This record gives sequence, C-alpha cells and structure tokens, in this order.
Amino acid sequence: MKPSELEAGWFPAGLQNYVLPKTAGRVVIADNDIALWRGEDGQIRAWENRCPHRGMRLSYGIVRGNTLTCLYHGWSYDGAGACAGIPAHPELTPPKTIRAKAYRAADSGGFIWVANPGETTAAPSIDGDWVPNRSVHIDLAPTSLNELAEGIGAELVSKITDHAAIVRVPEVKGKVLLAFLDMKEHGAMIHTSVPASASENVAIAVSKLSTRLRQVFKASSAA
Amino acid sequence: MKLFDYVLSGNCYKIRLLLDFLELSHEKQAVDFFPGREHKSDAFLQINPLGQIPVLEDDGAYIRDAQAILVHLASRYDPTGTWWPVNDPSQLGRVAQWLAFADSITSTASAARLHDVLGYDLDVAQARAGAHKLFRVLDDHLANQELQGFNWIAGSRPTVADIACFPYVALAGDGGIELFYYPAIQRWIRRFVNLPRFKLMPGINIFD
Ligand SMILES: N[C@@H](CCC(=O)N[C@@H](CS)C(=O)NCC(=O)O)C(=O)O
Ligand code: FES
Repeated sequence: MKPSELEAGWFPAGLQNYVLPKTAGRVVIADNDIALWRGEDGQIRAWENRCPHRGMRLSYGIVRGNTLTCLYHGWSYDGAGACAGIPAHPELTPPKTIRAKAYRAADSGGFIWVANPGETTAAPSIDGDWVPNRSVHIDLAPTSLNELAEGIGAELVSKITDHAAIVRVPEVKGKVLLAFLDMKEHGAMIHTSVPASASENVAIAVSKLSTRLRQVFKASSAA
Repeated sequence: MKLFDYVLSGNCYKIRLLLDFLELSHEKQAVDFFPGREHKSDAFLQINPLGQIPVLEDDGAYIRDAQAILVHLASRYDPTGTWWPVNDPSQLGRVAQWLAFADSITSTASAARLHDVLGYDLDVAQARAGAHKLFRVLDDHLANQELQGFNWIAGSRPTVADIACFPYVALAGDGGIELFYYPAIQRWIRRFVNLPRFKLMPGINIFD
C-alpha cells in the first residue's frame, strides 16, 4: 500500500460547490486518493478514499444526515470517521478501531482545503468575500505559481500557499484567487474564485481565461 | 408504441428516460444484443438495416437513432413543448448541435465502455482520448451556463440534448474515463438524476 501522507501544508482540493451538502466526491492530491463529503450540517470532510471494510472508494458513498455509507456493503461512518453501523451485524456496536482515515479539511475563499491530520498550521484565511468560479482539468501541473500566473496573463498580488495566490488579471481589471492542484498521473486542476462583487461578465471572462490554460499546460502528445 | 430495447444499452436508456419523463404508455421488446447479436439477425435488419438499437415503432412506422427518436417523441407527445422547444426556433439549432455531439460521445465514451465491460476489440486509448476531448467541451459549456444561471445544456430547462448526452457521460467510469476531472459535468449529472420520474440504469453509480 502507498503511504497516504500528503506533503506539509494546505492543498486547494476543489471549489466549495464541488461537494454540495449531502453529497460525496473524489479528489486526487499528488497520488493520494481522497473522498470529500459534506453532511447535512454542511461541514466538509476529507477521508482516505478506501472503505476500512474491503477498500471500496468512499467517494461512491451515500450521505444520510451526517453519516457516510459505503456503497458496497453498507458500513456507515459518522462525521469523525468512526464506524457507526454494519448492516450484516445490526446488533453489533462496531469496535472503535474501525475508522476511516481522516485528513483535515476546511472551506475558505470559495475553495475546499485539505491537509494532513497532523498539520499544525491553520487553514488559509483569505480576506474578503469570494465565490467559486471555475475548475479546469489540465494535462500537466505548472511547476510554480509564477508559471501559472504567467499562463493566465496575471501578476501575483499575494501568495497564500505554494499552490494558491491572489493575482491581478489585467484582462478583467480585477483580482482572482488562483490555485492549482497537482494530481500527478491524473494531470492537474486549476481552480479560481472571484470576489463576490464581480459581475457575471467578469466571472465568465475568468472562466474562459482558465480554460485557455489547457493549451499552456498541455501534454506533448496531445493534439 | 414499441421500443426495441436492451437494458444495458445507453442509447436505449435515452428513450426509456424520455418515455418515463413524458409518462407515455408503451411496450418494450427486449433485443438479445449480447451475447445473442440479435440486432444483426435477418429479422432485425428488416427493421433497421443499420443493425443498431434503439428502434421505435410508432403508428406502424419504424424510427431509428436515439436522437431522432427523442425528437420524434418530444415533438409529438410533449404537451409543454419544452423537451424539443419547437416554439422557440432560436433554440432548435442549439439543441440539435448537442444531439449531434451526443452521438460522438457514443462513438468514444461508449466504445471505451464496450471494450472494458464486454471485451470488444478496439483501440481503447484512442476512444478514451476522444471522450476526454468531448468532455472538456461539455464541462466548459456547462460551467459557463452555470455562471449565467442556466442549469441545462440549452438553457434554463432540460431538453432532449441533456437526455442524449446523459447516459454515456454518466457511464463513462465503466470505460476508465475519470469524471472527477469535470466538476461542472458532475453537478449537471446530479441535477439530472434529481429530475422527477428519473430512473437509474444498472451500472450508473452516482458517483464517479
Ligand atoms: N446513432 C445511433 C447509434 C446506436 C448504437 O450505436 N447502438 C448500439 C447499441 S447501444 C448498437 O446497436 N451497436 C451495434 C452496431 O452499431 O453494430 C443512435 O444514437 O441510436
Ligand atoms: S467495502 Fe465498504 S462496506 Fe464493504
């Protein structure tokens, strides 16, 4: 089994609306497969994407209330990752040792952020009100934030992590929260948020600019 | 009205979806597509010389091609005129454009699934690459629709274009095509499965 440890720090795992309340989704961070989900409480959770029973992807799971139920044999897990029920043994109180491995997860700046369980720093706090704008899949991860900002014709205003920054985009005369997530063999994702005050035209312009990054970070084999 | 149907066919599923959405009474005749290859039998070639399903028999006439059948059913039996928006000519070209797009999804994403699930001998890498190209186009389109407040391919209401694109996008995982690359497509799939009278097809796991 691969070690499921992330590098230190917080990773931009997706836009906040990638995982709506009462749903689960999948994300890959470097080569770690992670299930993201929200209960009806709206809280974002990030777990290793393997059911402790037989390894089914938990991102296929079904959310009821604030528990996640594995699609395969129906084991369910509470919001903290502890096994809360095993349908084949309804009378059994599941042993405390059966737990999904939980990462840290937080919402901020219109993004979902994920870090190792032992991460000691707080999740990035980002000034102002931001709304999720666009996620775009690209073939190859940028090697740096600078390269990414250049690709979108933007200048760095302030760096948030090694993978996220507030940038100024001259084309829309405004600020954008720009991030990338390296998914290694799966390529990479670009995520953007725009200020809550941005107009629809600006939101669409930023989305279209991000789409263009596919040409910049293109696999050499791709047409 | 009779649908020549195969349960595991995404193209037949398109027709079953619209029949359910419009609550149309009909008969289904199962075609032994796999392993029987009944769609290539002499009897079936009389019905569709292309040897493909689905085919719809309505008023004694046979109509083939899933997209054509959707247009037929919606223009004839949808009292609201929204699934194929005949009363809005400015929309029809747009809807037709995505119907054609849906058939390209069949020849890429569905081909990859036939390779992985039924062991068809074909170039799966090429099929997957073709599907990803199309899914990028669809994801871009749906994301920009959302930013303008539109939930569906052609605007604020679902049309036959959404139905035609849905099955092989939702089933793409069976062909080794990762849907988590496409967040806007994933949100659209969730909206689709929440439509009234929607029924799941075997093999579609929401999600990825
Ligand atoms: N353009 C047709 C394609 C239909 C199609 O490919 N159907 C498959 C089953 S899902 C089939 O019959 N394949 C057999 C063949 O093409 O020989 C449609 O949209 O209905
Ligand atoms: S693998 Fe999850 S319940 Fe069995």
